[in-house]
Amino acid sequence: MKRLMTSKGLFGGTTLAVLAILVLLPLVLPSATLATEIVIFAMAALACNLLLGYGGLLSFGQGLFFGAGSYLSALAMIHGGVGLVTALVIAIVAGALIATFVGMLSIRRTGIYFVMLTLAFSQTGYFLAYTLSKWTGGDNGLLDVPRPGLSLFGVDLVDLKGAHAYYVFVALIFMAVYVGARRVIDSPFGSTLVAIRENESRASAVGFDTRHFKMLAFTLSGAVTALAGALYGMLINYVPLDNIAMAMSENIVIMTVIGGTGSLLGSLLGAGTLVLMGEILSSIWPRWPLLLGVLLILIVVFLRGGVWGGVESLIGRMTRKDEA
Amino acid sequence: MKRRSFLKSGLAATSLLAAPSMLKPAFAAAPVTIHGLKSMSGAFASYGQFAEMGSKLAVQDFGPLLGAKPEYVTIDTEGNPGKAVRKVQEAIQGGAKFFDGCTLSSTALAVGKEVAKGGGVFMTPAGADEITGTECNASTFRWTVPTYGAIQETVRPLFKAEPKKKKWYTITPQYVFGDALLTAAKDVFKDLGIEHVGNSYHSTQEQEFSGYLTNAMAAQPDVLLILNFGGQASNCLRQAISFGLKKQMTILIAWTAGLDWFQSLGPDLLEGVYLGAQYWHQVDNPTNNALVKRVKEVYGITANYPLAADYIGTKVILEAIKKAGSTDGKAVAKAMEGMSYDGPTGKEMIRAQDHQVIKDYYLLKGKAKSEMKDADDYATLISSGQSFPQGDKIACKMV
Amino acid sequence: MPPLRPNSGCGMLNLYLFQILNGLGLGMIYFLISVGLTIIFGLLNFVNFAHGGFFMLGCYLCYALLQLTGQFWLTLLLGPLIVAALAWVMEKTLIRRIYHLPHTFHILVTVGVALILQESAIIVWGPIGKSIPIPEALQGVVIMGKFAYPKYRLFLILFSAAIGFILWLLLERTRFGALVRAGSESTEMVSLLGTNIYKLFSLTFALGVGLAGLAGVLSGPIRGAQPFMGPEVLGIAFVVVVIGGMGSFLGALVGGLLIGLVQSLMTTIWPEGASLMIYGAMAAVILLRPYGLFGRA
Repeated sequence: MKRLMTSKGLFGGTTLAVLAILVLLPLVLPSATLATEIVIFAMAALACNLLLGYGGLLSFGQGLFFGAGSYLSALAMIHGGVGLVTALVIAIVAGALIATFVGMLSIRRTGIYFVMLTLAFSQTGYFLAYTLSKWTGGDNGLLDVPRPGLSLFGVDLVDLKGAHAYYVFVALIFMAVYVGARRVIDSPFGSTLVAIRENESRASAVGFDTRHFKMLAFTLSGAVTALAGALYGMLINYVPLDNIAMAMSENIVIMTVIGGTGSLLGSLLGAGTLVLMGEILSSIWPRWPLLLGVLLILIVVFLRGGVWGGVESLIGRMTRKDEA
Repeated sequence: MKRRSFLKSGLAATSLLAAPSMLKPAFAAAPVTIHGLKSMSGAFASYGQFAEMGSKLAVQDFGPLLGAKPEYVTIDTEGNPGKAVRKVQEAIQGGAKFFDGCTLSSTALAVGKEVAKGGGVFMTPAGADEITGTECNASTFRWTVPTYGAIQETVRPLFKAEPKKKKWYTITPQYVFGDALLTAAKDVFKDLGIEHVGNSYHSTQEQEFSGYLTNAMAAQPDVLLILNFGGQASNCLRQAISFGLKKQMTILIAWTAGLDWFQSLGPDLLEGVYLGAQYWHQVDNPTNNALVKRVKEVYGITANYPLAADYIGTKVILEAIKKAGSTDGKAVAKAMEGMSYDGPTGKEMIRAQDHQVIKDYYLLKGKAKSEMKDADDYATLISSGQSFPQGDKIACKMV
Repeated sequence: MPPLRPNSGCGMLNLYLFQILNGLGLGMIYFLISVGLTIIFGLLNFVNFAHGGFFMLGCYLCYALLQLTGQFWLTLLLGPLIVAALAWVMEKTLIRRIYHLPHTFHILVTVGVALILQESAIIVWGPIGKSIPIPEALQGVVIMGKFAYPKYRLFLILFSAAIGFILWLLLERTRFGALVRAGSESTEMVSLLGTNIYKLFSLTFALGVGLAGLAGVLSGPIRGAQPFMGPEVLGIAFVVVVIGGMGSFLGALVGGLLIGLVQSLMTTIWPEGASLMIYGAMAAVILLRPYGLFGRA
């Protein structure tokens, strides 16, 4: 803990920006609930970014982990009567286990084959959720998902019923995940992952077990995504079948890319952009997904670093001028 | 270096936060505001646009209520239950109490729970029986006839008209809604002595029905009862006709979306097909005639099911507020219970026990193109009637 | 629950035979949908997630051109050509810029294109689907025992087979085909032969996408036109291509027929499991034969 506090960089730069955004979000947005949704999806995008931005792995199956996290945590609370912390831990562990399983089978494949495998697994998950309607509610979704208060060792600490209280809780978890992810990326593990992304054969020639590293990234990503899914279920007190559908996987990827692959702060910007686009544009022009399509194309063609990449290069140019 | 990273942070924060300041909306305290939950974007946009017209018209035409003109706000559900629930939570935090709409059953169920928590009132035309069944609550009301009535009011009159057709085959989407229709159908079959010669289940994603239609052909039924709806029913019917089934057997689609769906199919496909419907613009009663006329005036179209359903749903809430003389959610819900009014299907009544609107369901029969008197005259009205689960068949246990 | 009441063994056999015919019809459409995707992947190593979107455009063009001209055969010719022309322009202005990027970026750009196509279709034709009449000459059914099979579907099987044969000739017997095949081995080699590789790329992309358009026009009278049909069609196309082997012509044919037959027989055996089977089969093939049944590493 002490090392964490003192370690340089961890609380500087972008971490400060994340903190600032998290503090400002509920103040600027019309509601804390909207802010909570953004932060939850930012968490899912961050997990996707660990794979895509740092491992070069495009997973089209993140919805599987998101959905599994929300279903399993909700079922544990409804039928097992477990509390908040236990439910979240269940989601994290389940996400990690499922991701490990999917990862073991998919990691060897590359390019489009990896994408298709992750897609196939998540479609299988969708089918399971759809079929096991006694448990999941099938097409109607799982209703009456509780949002218990935070309690430790039987002592009730905080009630999370209020929109603001729940936002603070989710924001704190996001901050913890963010700091944790930054540590992972700054560690030798993270640089190895990037080395694998840049040139896998060289990385393995140098003696890294590339498969092992990718697996770890996958497991981590599954755990964080499932955590986000669990928090989402508690936010809307409900788990729709959409949580595990292909569109969810697609949206998570789109947020990641819009924000900027290879930047964890970008995940927050990406989730914010997509959610707010829907929020603002849908009331003005119902055909707004068309603009989303244009944005995706523009980003890949002109701004491969995403929104954050653009901001960064802009600042780079401005400050250089300053110094000159 | 330090300055630069600080600048970065600041810029990043503002770039995200600058945009939405224009969002601070709409939930400011107006006299009475109805929030319409409509799928404007996303996969159910075809429904949402008409539903919105209905709610808007009802509010616009209502006149003063509690001393001021009522207002209307659309909440776009984006065809996504998660978004819908979150937006409803926000609206409730902003003081919203009265909601109408929701195409999707899943969305309606979840929204109903939120509105109940907020002590508001929610009227929906969604299809899931659970809304006024196992998942019923004090705040949620439902305009649509449940699956039980849809089957009773289509299978019975059809069998009465063609009593020699004793062998029936069903095609059913496999989920709660489809199963509910199928169970209801089996009960009626037993009651009428109809032989159920087979059923094909299909998934809710299926668009290719040749295999199921082949199963149906093999069973050689007199009547093919199609229990799916919307796009799936379109493809099922279209393909059934191309396989020549219309010549071999009578086809009944128990739950259709009505006029807008008929328009997308055209008279060639619909001719001679029996169609169940929640609303039909040709039904002759003063309220409906006035509505059809008004809709033509304002929007230049013929009133259809989504429009009529959300029109009357919204209007009923407004009437109840007037009756209660307050905007207290509990008082308004109380005022709605047992309320009788003139609706687009004639006399309608809200049953207090489960908050189900008691209204007619229709059996129509598709007309040939040559018989159509105007562009929207797709079908003849065969019968209408009211069938609802009674007594201990009502699954709702209101708390 | 068995879908049939007790029936003679002979009747059941007939039913299965008929389901195989159904599966064949379905499979040939799947082949047409998938073959364009596989040709583009084979030569350009490009992953086109907008393929389903172009199929949808084909359906709508079938509707619009029939309204305009009333001529099915003209529509069948013009529809795919318009789609191909659009693809040609898109290749020159957009796709060309991203060939060199990893598959990931191909997917993102074409997901964007698919969104634009879908929303544009709603803007032009409205959110409610359109029905498309079966051309008069092909209306009606062929009676086979107690079953009937639509003439239009028979026409589809024969027509798709003919298109498949022409494609095969084009790829195996012409200079264009030789270049495409050589190009999928090594683009440098084709360049050395003095061919303008970019022109070849544009042509191939237009051909592949045009085939999606053709499949759309042909499916129109069966499926109608709906703005949201793209993703579903894309899913099937990818399953077919992955099972058959990305880039393999024969793979698209065998994969398409296989999926069509499985889907059709499943409707009699275990309908609820049809989609599970299809995605399960895809996962199994990638795991056991990573490059599909007919693909090369």
